[in-house]
Parts: sequence; C-alpha cells; structure tokens
Amino acid sequence: MAFLELENISKYFGRNAAVEQINLSVERGEFLTLLGPSGCGKTTILRMIAGFETPSEGNILLDGEDITNRAASKRPMGMVFQAYALFPHMTAEQNIAFGLSIQHKPKDFIKRRCAELLELVGLSDKGDSFPHQLSGGQQQRVALARALAVEPKVLLLDEPLSALDAKVRVSLRNEIRRVQQQLKMTAIYVTHDQEEALAISDRIAVMAKGHIEQLDHPEEIYSNPRTVFSASFVGSSNQFRGILESAQDGLFQAGDFLLSVPPQQDLKDGQQVMVLVRPEEMSISPTTESEASLDHNTRNHINGVIELRTFLGPFTRFHIHVNEQLTLTADIPSQQTRDYFVAQHIVLSFSPKDCQVLPLDSNESSLVKLAERETV
Amino acid sequence: MEVSAQGVTQQNTANVATSPKYKDQTKRRGFGFDKIILTLVLLYLLIPLGATFIFSINDGKNFGLSSFQSIINDADFITTFPFSIELAIATTILMVILITPTAYWIQMRLPQARPIMDFLTLVPFGVPAIVMAFGLIQVYGSPNTLVSVLSLGLVPFLSNQLNVVNTPPLLICAYVIIALPFTYRPIDNNLRAINTRVLTEASYSLGSGWWRTFLTVVIPNIWPGIISAALLTFATVMGEFTIASLFSIYTFPIYLDVTGQNDAHKAAALTILSFTITLICVLGIILLIRLRPGGAGKDSQIEIGAAK
Repeated sequence: MAFLELENISKYFGRNAAVEQINLSVERGEFLTLLGPSGCGKTTILRMIAGFETPSEGNILLDGEDITNRAASKRPMGMVFQAYALFPHMTAEQNIAFGLSIQHKPKDFIKRRCAELLELVGLSDKGDSFPHQLSGGQQQRVALARALAVEPKVLLLDEPLSALDAKVRVSLRNEIRRVQQQLKMTAIYVTHDQEEALAISDRIAVMAKGHIEQLDHPEEIYSNPRTVFSASFVGSSNQFRGILESAQDGLFQAGDFLLSVPPQQDLKDGQQVMVLVRPEEMSISPTTESEASLDHNTRNHINGVIELRTFLGPFTRFHIHVNEQLTLTADIPSQQTRDYFVAQHIVLSFSPKDCQVLPLDSNESSLVKLAERETV
Repeated sequence: MEVSAQGVTQQNTANVATSPKYKDQTKRRGFGFDKIILTLVLLYLLIPLGATFIFSINDGKNFGLSSFQSIINDADFITTFPFSIELAIATTILMVILITPTAYWIQMRLPQARPIMDFLTLVPFGVPAIVMAFGLIQVYGSPNTLVSVLSLGLVPFLSNQLNVVNTPPLLICAYVIIALPFTYRPIDNNLRAINTRVLTEASYSLGSGWWRTFLTVVIPNIWPGIISAALLTFATVMGEFTIASLFSIYTFPIYLDVTGQNDAHKAAALTILSFTITLICVLGIILLIRLRPGGAGKDSQIEIGAAK
C-alpha cells in the first residue's frame, strides 16, 4: 500500500464538481506534482489532503490510516502557501518555533531546531528579522522551514513560487527539491507552471476539469502524452487535426497533407485524430521559390515561409507560415540558424517516429482549447 | 503642533527631492499653501479649545484654578466620573469579547453573513438613542407574552428575577448596541487586511486549534483594530447622555449637563479636564501600538477617522 492514498475522492461546491473520482497514490519520499490550469481542482485536492476541505465522497489514507475526517490541526502535514502566510508579528525564528511550541518541546530543543532549519534554508543571519523586513524569496524560505519544523509526514506546497520573480523562482525551486531529497520528505506540489513541474517532480499528475488526465514521470508526460490535453498543456507542440487513413500503415490525412506516423494498434481507420510534433523535433532546410508550392509537399516535408524568428539563447524559434489556417513552429539550435531569415522559403521536415497520434473526440477538443488558452 | 506641521512639509519635499527639476518649484509652493491650510485647520480646532480653557480659569475678574479645585472637591464629580469610567470599561470589555470572535467567525466560516452584519452595525445610527431607551424600558419594564416567547423566557427572567430595568447592567448592554458600528468595522477591516484565512490555515497546519490560533495569531495582528474599537467605545460611553438620563442613572455626562446649567466656568473646566483625559488615553494607545513587536509596519494605524 502506498504511503498516501486518495480513494475515489470527489468534492462538490453546490452543484459544481471541483474534483471527481480522483484516485492517487503517493509513495514515501516521493515528490508528486499536481499540474493543471486554474480551476482544474489541483488546489482543492491539496486542501483536502491538508484538512481544510472535507471530501464530498471518498477516503484519504495516510500510512494505512483513514484521515478523511480528521481536523487539519491533527494531521501530520506541513503546508507552504502561495502568499507565504508568515505570522507578521513574529520574527523568522518565532515563526519557525510556533509549531514546536504547540508540541510543548523544550526551549533549548526549539532554539537548536530553529537554528538548524534557518541554516538549511540559508537564512542563518535572518532569525531576528520580521517578515516585512525580508524579501519574497526569503519569506518563502522561512515558510518552508516553518513547515518542516514540525517534521510533517507530508509536505504540501500550494503554488509556493507564483508570487516570486523569475530568477528567484528557479533558484528556490531547486532549493525546495534539494531540501526534499535531503530529508527524504514526501511532498505534494501544486502548480500551473509546466516547466516548474517538469524540473522538480518525481511524478506529475496532469489535471483538467477535476480529473487526472495523466499520471507519470516528467519524461513520459513530455515524450509520450496519453491525452490530447496532456500533450497540449505540457510543452509546446505543432498540432494537425485530421483523419487516420490507415492505422496499420501509419498514414494520416490533414487537409492537403498526408503524413507518415507510427502505426497505431489501438486506433481504427477513419478515426478523427490529432497528430502532435514538438517544435524541437522539426528541422528546416532552404528551398528555391519554384519548389515552394503545395504540390511539392511530400510526406512529412512541408513547404512554408519564415514569418518570425525569435532568438531564445541556445535555440532559435521559427514561426513558419504554411497556409492561411496553419502556422508551424520549429526550434532549431541557434548555431545552425545563421543562414535563415524572415520571408525565406524553407521546407520543414520531421521524422514519423516523432509524431504522437492521439484520438480526438468532442470532449478532447474542448480540453485542447482550455490548454491553449492557459499556455499562451 | 508646530512640529507636526513642519514634519508634513519636510516629507512632501523629500518625496519629490529626487527630481532636481521640480525641487525649487515644490519648495516655493510647499512653503506657502500647505502651511496656510494647516494653520487654518489647527486654528479651527484650537481656538474653541483655547477659549474654553481661558473661560475655565477666569471667573470674570481674576485668573485662577478655582473652578478646577471646586470640581475636584465636588462630591458629584467624585461619584459620577469613576462611575462613568467603570461603565465605559465594562462596555469596552464586553464589546471586545463579543465582537472580536464574532467578526473572526464571520470572516472564516460565514462570509455570506457579512451583509447582514454590515446592516446590523448601521442600525444604531438609524435608530435614535431616545427610541432605543424607550424600547428597552418598555420591553424590560413590562414584558408581554409575545416578547417572553420570542426571547425564550430570557426577558421576563431578566426583568422580574434580576430587576435589570434602569440598572447599570442594562445600560451597559444598551451602550454595546450604540457602540456596535464603531467596534465591528475597525475589527472587520483589520481582519480583511491581514489575510486572515491563510494565516489561520497556516496556524492549523502547524497543529494549532481554533482558540490558540485566535489568541496567538489573529488577535496580535488585529490589535490596532481592537484598540480603535476599544477607544471609540470608551469615548462613546463617556459622552452618552440620552439613555442614561431616561434610565435615571446619574453618570458623568448628566453631571456635566447639570453643572453647565448652574456654573458655566465649572462646565468649561470639566470640558478641559475630559479633553485632557481623552488626549492622554489616545497618546497612550498610539504608543502602545507603536511599541508592539513588528508594529512599526504600515498596518499600525488607528482607524478612528474611518470608523467615525
């Protein structure tokens, strides 16, 4: 049995279901991230684990013990909030000591533990500072130390980096991961930032509309998304909607394009599907103007014109205009992009093995729209 | 007072001093206009006070402290002033004990009840004190069957067994109602300003229960609101005349009224005395808030003006 288990958890606010029939197992020492757009139910799940919300249905088990109806203050959980939630009238050290004094620990033990934790989060010299004297990043480190002070069985982090600026966000997320691994702490992390989720997690649960779309390791989520939403929400991708002409031979028709895709065993001929290709799987090569027409489109080779070129450091992103309905994106290593310029005719190509084929129904279409809106 | 006027001007100048282009302009404008306005406001406030003070130490012929001496030796003053202070302290304590947990409870568990509370706290403004006094005398003086049933027997018990009609305990209860707008709003504003929900949840997650969270996390952070509420309640009770008069309870404001009708100099001296006491209270409270740990932050202002 897993360390923390959510069994058929649902939560309704009035008639609206925030989450429905969630089953989730978290192993001891694992770092699991709940990733999804706003309103997908990820924070509701975290709040139910913390005890701030009671599930409408289902059970929460911690180490085999049912804690579904246990008060928040009686659960062995530590929580880090988006808004830091440090007590403004207490110093950093007093904040960290708060939970320990409730446990009636001896004073010298509390002092020693505070010093240890301040050192762990790199703030040994800030123990006497009040929250308003600390920067956002420092406040969140104190909040992390405070949550760890009571030695919780599970550390819950509710978008802890959202209020911080980009640079601090990256350094603090690495620090959270370092501390979690050092203490072998079980952690559940909520975020809508896919890059953060990919960087920090052992496993990610991609969520949409109160359901878990996919639960897997970050590499799998990125390389082998199981649903259209996962594919659209995590990372950027080029999307082709069309019909699978032949599942066995891996032939896909989208408008004028016939693409070769990996053979599909679970899909049927004539089924509506979406084919996704990651921008970094695309390659580009120059072409002459006479070749540059739709007639010259061959399988997995598409003619287009460079519309926009964006230098992003290690790679350069090209937006390639194919026709009125279709603009594709290609990420090319920057050292290979010197000969390309805006308005140049090029041919885009990609290997069939880099195409991900996912079935498309009406529900999936609405989720794709949601993912696109959230990732813009 | 001169010091504060200078302080404001200096602060204004300092804010724009970073831009040398506007430095001279601001200095010129700041020197004239701000000070004139400030001086006018201060004169408007201080002249009546000064005049009252001069009137209190002048009996028409000589200057002296005879009015103050006669007040201190006045038996009525010696009984009514401490009595009113007792009433004010009792009302303040009852008020804070009743309203603070209620406001916190509404904030956390019953936010949908906030409009009802907002309405209820405005009722004392809408209902004149005289109406309330007659209402209380009517209800508790001769409780009828309907009132007995609606109050689940509490009103007849209070009026017949405990004889609360026209007694200080009932007066204190009436004062709690009158001071409700001045108490609920500053506390509620403070609760909204400190992100109470998240602080409470943080406290719960560290193992703290409801009461400990309320006492050790919430109260210290809404202290300025509680102090404002207490101060306003205290001041309201110290100046309340109508209900005490209709209850036939001899309090300090009634003594002030009676004295004013007989001896105007003495009344002026009393006004100065009560003003000084209030000033000492306010300064003491401001000092108290400034000295609290972490209290130098931006949230340590008293919301007297807003509540009034």
